[in-house]
Amino acid sequence: MANWVPLWLHKLGSPPIFYRFAGIVRPWALTLAILAAAVALYGGLVLAPADYQQGDAYRIIFIHVPSAWMSLFIYGAMAVAAFVGLVWRIKIAEIVAMESAPIGAAFTFITLVTGSLWGKPMWGTWWTWDARLTSELVLLFLYIGVIGLYHSFEDRRQGARAASFLVLIGIVNVPIVHFSVNWWYTLHQGSTVRLVGPSRIDASMLWPLLTMMAATKLYYVASLFARVRAELIASEGGKEWVRAIALGEDARS
Amino acid sequence: MTPGSTCAACVALFRRDLLLAWRRRGDIAMPVLYAVIVTTLFPFALGPDAALLSRIAGGVVLVTVLLAMLLSLDSLFRSDVEDGSLEQWMLAPQSLPLLLGAKLLAHWITSAVPLIVIAPVLASMLRFPTAAMPVLVAALLLATPLLSLLGGVLVALTAGSRRSGMLLALMLLPLCVPVVIFAAGAVAAAQDGLPFAAPIAWLGAALALALVLGPLACAAALRIAMDA
Amino acid sequence: MGRMCAADSANALIEALALSFTRQDEQVFGPLDFALHAGDIALIEGDNGSGKTTLMRILTGMLHTDEGELRFDGQPYTRDATAGHVVFLGHHLGLKSDLSARENLRFAQGLYGARPGSDIVTALAAVGLAGYEDEPVRRLSAGQKKRAALARLLILPARVWLLDEPYANLDREGIALVNTLLASHAARGGAALVTSHGAVAFAGDEPRRIRIHP
Repeated sequence: MANWVPLWLHKLGSPPIFYRFAGIVRPWALTLAILAAAVALYGGLVLAPADYQQGDAYRIIFIHVPSAWMSLFIYGAMAVAAFVGLVWRIKIAEIVAMESAPIGAAFTFITLVTGSLWGKPMWGTWWTWDARLTSELVLLFLYIGVIGLYHSFEDRRQGARAASFLVLIGIVNVPIVHFSVNWWYTLHQGSTVRLVGPSRIDASMLWPLLTMMAATKLYYVASLFARVRAELIASEGGKEWVRAIALGEDARS
Repeated sequence: MTPGSTCAACVALFRRDLLLAWRRRGDIAMPVLYAVIVTTLFPFALGPDAALLSRIAGGVVLVTVLLAMLLSLDSLFRSDVEDGSLEQWMLAPQSLPLLLGAKLLAHWITSAVPLIVIAPVLASMLRFPTAAMPVLVAALLLATPLLSLLGGVLVALTAGSRRSGMLLALMLLPLCVPVVIFAAGAVAAAQDGLPFAAPIAWLGAALALALVLGPLACAAALRIAMDA
Repeated sequence: MGRMCAADSANALIEALALSFTRQDEQVFGPLDFALHAGDIALIEGDNGSGKTTLMRILTGMLHTDEGELRFDGQPYTRDATAGHVVFLGHHLGLKSDLSARENLRFAQGLYGARPGSDIVTALAAVGLAGYEDEPVRRLSAGQKKRAALARLLILPARVWLLDEPYANLDREGIALVNTLLASHAARGGAALVTSHGAVAFAGDEPRRIRIHP
C-alpha cells in the first residue's frame, strides 16, 4: 500500500474497524438525515411561496433537484471507490463502490420519475428528449449494468473488480453521452424547453433545497454504511471478528 | 519476421482468427441474415409509404447493424475461453493490448465488413436516397470499429462470468449512444443536403482515441476477468 | 537491480514461501513452501478439490494472491519475470478444434517463438501423431488431442512446464510418454510442476512430491 495514504484511511481499510466505525456513524447520519429532510420539506412545501409562473407544481424540485445531484454525486463517489479498489486492491473500497450502485440507481430513478411528473403539467408530456433527462436515463442504464455485472460472477470480489472497471469506463463515457445528447437535441429541436434552473432562485426556495441536499447526502451515508456492514458480515463470515460479534462479545457496535 | 516477436504473434493470432472464421463460414452469414430480416420487418410494421421509409432508413440501418454486431461480439472470446486457448495466448510473452488489437481487427473484418457491404442494399430496400449512400457507408466504416473496440472491452469484462448475452447488451447500448447519435446525425444531414463533415469528424476523433485506449482497456479488463 | 549477485546461481526457478489462497473466506490451499530448481520435476499431489488447479493458475500468473510470497528466478513473480519462461497445459488443452495439429502448433510458435532445433513434424512424431498432422483436431480422440497438446511443449522455448493433470485421458503408453518427455526436459535443464490426484508410476528417478493440503 502506498505510504502517502493517511494512516487513519489505511486503518479504515480493515473490515472490523470499518464495521465499528460505520456502526457508530450510521444512526447519527440517519437521524440527521430525517431531521434535515423534515425541515427542508416544511420549508419547501409550506414556507416557500408559490412560483408566479408554475404555481405549486414547481415544489417537486425539492425532491427532483437533490435527487439529480445525488445521482451524479454517488456515481462520482462510486468511481473514486472503484479506482481505489482496483489500484490498491482494498476490499472495503470495492464493497463501498458496489453497495453505492443500488442507492445511486434509486436516486436516478427518483429523478426520472419526478422529472416526468413535473414535465406533465409543465410541458404537457410525460417524457421529453431533453439532454439532461436523457443523460439521466443513460446513467440509470449504466447503474443497472454495474449491478448486473457485479452479480453475474460466482466470485464476489472478482465481480466487484469487473464492475469497478465498468464504473471507470462509465465515468469517461457519461460526459461524452451528455455532450452528444446535447448536440443531438439542438440539432433536432428548434426551441429548447429548459428545466427549471436553480441559478436564479429566491432565498426562500434556496435554503430548503440546500437543506434537502444535505439530507440526501446524510441518507446516502447512512444507507451505504448499513449496506456495507451487511455485506462485510456476509463476506467475512468465516473470520474471527465476525464470530466474535455473532457470539455477542461485541454486540453494541 | 522472427517467430515469437510481437509482430509475428499479432499476425499469427490475426491469421488464426481469420482461418477459424473461414472454416466456419456459415457463422459469418448469421449477423448478415439477421440484419436483412430485421430490416424487412420495418416496412411490414410501418407500411410501404416511400417517404416515411426513406426518412427512417438511415437510422434503421444503423441500429440494425449495431444490434447485429452485438450478436457477434458476444462470441468474441467465448470459444477461446471454453477450449483454453485464451490462457495460451494470454501467457505468451507478448504485449496483450497489441494481441487484442489484432484479434479485434480480425473480428471487425469477419463481423462488421459483411454488414457494411450489405448496408447499401438494406438502405435501398428502405428507399434511402442514393446520393447520401457514401455518407452512410462512411459513417458505418467509422462507427463499426468504434463499436468493436467498445464492445471488446465489455466482452472482456464478462469473459469470466456465468451469463453474458443480455448483460452485454445492457452494458454496451448506453455507451453506444454517442456513436449512434453522430453516425445517424451525419446520415440525416447528408440526406437533407446539409453539411455532414462535423459529425463524421467527431466519429473519426472518437475512433482515433478508441484505437489507442480500446486495446489497453480491453487487456486490463481481460486480466481482471481471468483473475479468479 | 539491487539483487545480490552471489545468490544468482542458487536461485530456484520457482520459489514459494508460505503461499496460500483464500476464496470467499475459505482457504483453498496452503500455506505451501516449495522450491523448483532447474532439472527438477515435482509432482503436486492432492485430492480432488485440494486446490491443485488453483495453485497452477497462480503459478501461470493469471490468478493473484496476497498471501505468502512467490518468486521466479529470484525476482518477484510478475508477468514480466515469467513471460515466455512458463508454459501451461491445463484441463482445457488450448487447441482449436477446427484447425489441424500442425496449424495449432504453428500458432503457438508464432506466440511464444520456437525452441531452437525443434520442428513441428518431428514433435508430432515424437508424441505418436505421425500421419495425423493435417487432421482437424476435432477428429482426434481425447488421448490424441492430449498428445497434440504435449507436442506443443516440445516446440516452445519455455523452461518451466506447468502441467495440470497431464495423465488424464491417457493410456499406459501415453503415461509413459509423458514421463519420457518430462525426463528429457529435466535433462535439458528444464523444470516441471505436475499435478495428479492419483498414484503415478515413474519409470526412472522418483520425482519430488509436494503434498497440498486443503
